[in-house]
Amino acid sequence: MDLSLTLQYLVIAAAVLASAWVVMNKQFPGTTRRLRVALALALLREGRAGWIKRAGRRLAPQGYGNAGGKCGGCDGCG
Amino acid sequence: MSVSRIPLRLALVGNPNCGKTALFNQITGSRQKVANYAGVTVERKEGRYTNRQGREYAVLDLPGAYSFNAASLDEAVTRDLCRGFLPGEPKPDVLVCVVDATNLRLHLRFALEVRNLGIPMILAVNLADVARKRGITIDLNALERELGIPVVETVAVRRHGAQALLDQIDRTAVSAHLPPQLAEGADLHAETRRLLSVAVGMPSRTARIDDALDRWLLHPLFGLLTLAVVMFLIFQAVYAWATPIMDGIDAGTAALGSWVGGVLPEGPLSSLLVDGIIAGLGGVIVFLPQILILFAFILALEESGYLPRAAFLLDRSMSAAGLSGRSFIPLLSSFACAIPGIMATRSIQDPRDRMATILVAPLMTCSARLPVYALLIGAFIPQRTVWGWFNLQGLVLFGLYAAAVASALVVSWIMKRVRRDKSEHALMLELPSYRIPHPRDLAIGLWERATIFLKRVGGIILALTVLLWFLLSYPGAPADATLPAIDYSFAGLIGHALTAVFSPLGFNWQICIALIPGLAAREVAVSSLATVYALSAADDDAASQALLPLIHDGWSLATGLSLLVWYIYAPMCISTLATIKRETNSWRKMGMATLYLFALAYVASFITYQVAVRLGAG
Repeated sequence: MDLSLTLQYLVIAAAVLASAWVVMNKQFPGTTRRLRVALALALLREGRAGWIKRAGRRLAPQGYGNAGGKCGGCDGCG
Repeated sequence: MSVSRIPLRLALVGNPNCGKTALFNQITGSRQKVANYAGVTVERKEGRYTNRQGREYAVLDLPGAYSFNAASLDEAVTRDLCRGFLPGEPKPDVLVCVVDATNLRLHLRFALEVRNLGIPMILAVNLADVARKRGITIDLNALERELGIPVVETVAVRRHGAQALLDQIDRTAVSAHLPPQLAEGADLHAETRRLLSVAVGMPSRTARIDDALDRWLLHPLFGLLTLAVVMFLIFQAVYAWATPIMDGIDAGTAALGSWVGGVLPEGPLSSLLVDGIIAGLGGVIVFLPQILILFAFILALEESGYLPRAAFLLDRSMSAAGLSGRSFIPLLSSFACAIPGIMATRSIQDPRDRMATILVAPLMTCSARLPVYALLIGAFIPQRTVWGWFNLQGLVLFGLYAAAVASALVVSWIMKRVRRDKSEHALMLELPSYRIPHPRDLAIGLWERATIFLKRVGGIILALTVLLWFLLSYPGAPADATLPAIDYSFAGLIGHALTAVFSPLGFNWQICIALIPGLAAREVAVSSLATVYALSAADDDAASQALLPLIHDGWSLATGLSLLVWYIYAPMCISTLATIKRETNSWRKMGMATLYLFALAYVASFITYQVAVRLGAG
């Protein structure tokens, strides 16, 4: 496989993963949040390397804002 | 941290339709819908404002309330928040009670209730300019003296119209002066009459224009006729005015696709951009002009004060069908999106009426259906004039909207027959004065609709289009393939499997594929079809063809009609179902809504397809 095709596949893989993340976040915010919490807790376990813990902290979801994900994620209202 | 850095909590309270939201916009600079009918504010809204001295305020726009003797969820939220009883919500430091200067008889009564809370308070006399034009004179000094609280004049829809209020907020926050309170059990109506006699001068005829217009627009026959004509003209305009702009967008999308296809080397990335993203998103974005024209009319009707009158006119037929006139506003909101519509049912005090409204709200034609309707109408209904000057495509669109409304009435009527309680509830609605829509508010409203639509296109629709392209492109065809590559893809296999369920409705496998991402956002069905056909095309010329002629040539009329009918009823929106679950707090009710909508869609599409085939349209 030549370099150009490899790069194309890399871009496509990134776009597909990002899209899957957006759809999960929009359509299943509760599930995504629980998934992030579970992953973050696993990464932050005692004895993990520093960089793994940092990744866990970055992955942990933020606290709920005012909206609290109440709108159901369709972006259909103002 | 110094005390001055903790934001002071300022809450805007008042009757519905007194201009709180517009005032909130003025103070915080945030943008919300400025509406002209009762019950639009159903959610808590917060914004920030910093005064000239650097003191920060957290400003709350509370739901409109007629009384603290709560008759609806809105009023209960406002009452509990003002008293500091709402969990997680500290009591406000300063209350701004907004009253409509043209309707002080009603609004001052509530202001007296608010004053009895014993929180530092300001009375904002809004719509002061309109009151002056009508000859209503308000002695602000006398009102301030009698009420024992600061009184300021505001014109919420005018730039700098809230400056006097902002200055007064600072003074009240510093002084923290507590207002006087009436004795327990005091007659608020009598006190209101006393205040009016002391501080307000009414002209002999306050609303001559309102009266003259209402004589016609609220007439049992002419009023309904006018409403029908207004709605009919709106749908005609959607088609007549949007076509040139849509053609321009269509040509732009095609040119962009050709250019990108020419610049990039052939390969998967070019396919993703041209067949996936540009074809998919271009197929949806082309309907923006139609959506904006429709909303321009709806916003203008909202702003003019006509919509509550439409609710009044339709109350009799709605109550015959088992809904109340209070259902009108939530159902009307559902024409934009069922989610705010379902949330707006909180203003319906009767649980039975509220449930009926929630269950039929998804039947209203939300704006996400418009691209699907426009595509199918464009493909199967000829663009010609009938009966002299009516646009046939506009007539069909009007028919689809009317069919949705009629279906909602029939469903609620059946629910009324099924349940035991058949009692009726009288509609109580405040009819605001007629207003000429303010161009700035119309422009803001349209800008918001365009932003929402484009955010959806650039967010969830783009993401789903990329995923669908991936599922349609991989895995590739095997070496000994006899069919087009798309038939061997993940999505192709799913689409073919689904035809077992949907073929009696005339749906081919391409339509079956489009139904799945359409669950996240209905208009994705259009971008999905565009991507499916672009990837199915035998060559580049065929791939660059617009979707409309492709489905016109590829589908039968019976299939097109069946899909149109499917979209009137189908519960094709996960977000709406999630909102029903949240608002009813019941999985059973959500399941019931899903099941009845799906059954209705399936049966109606089945009948449509089979009848159309028998009539020779297959």
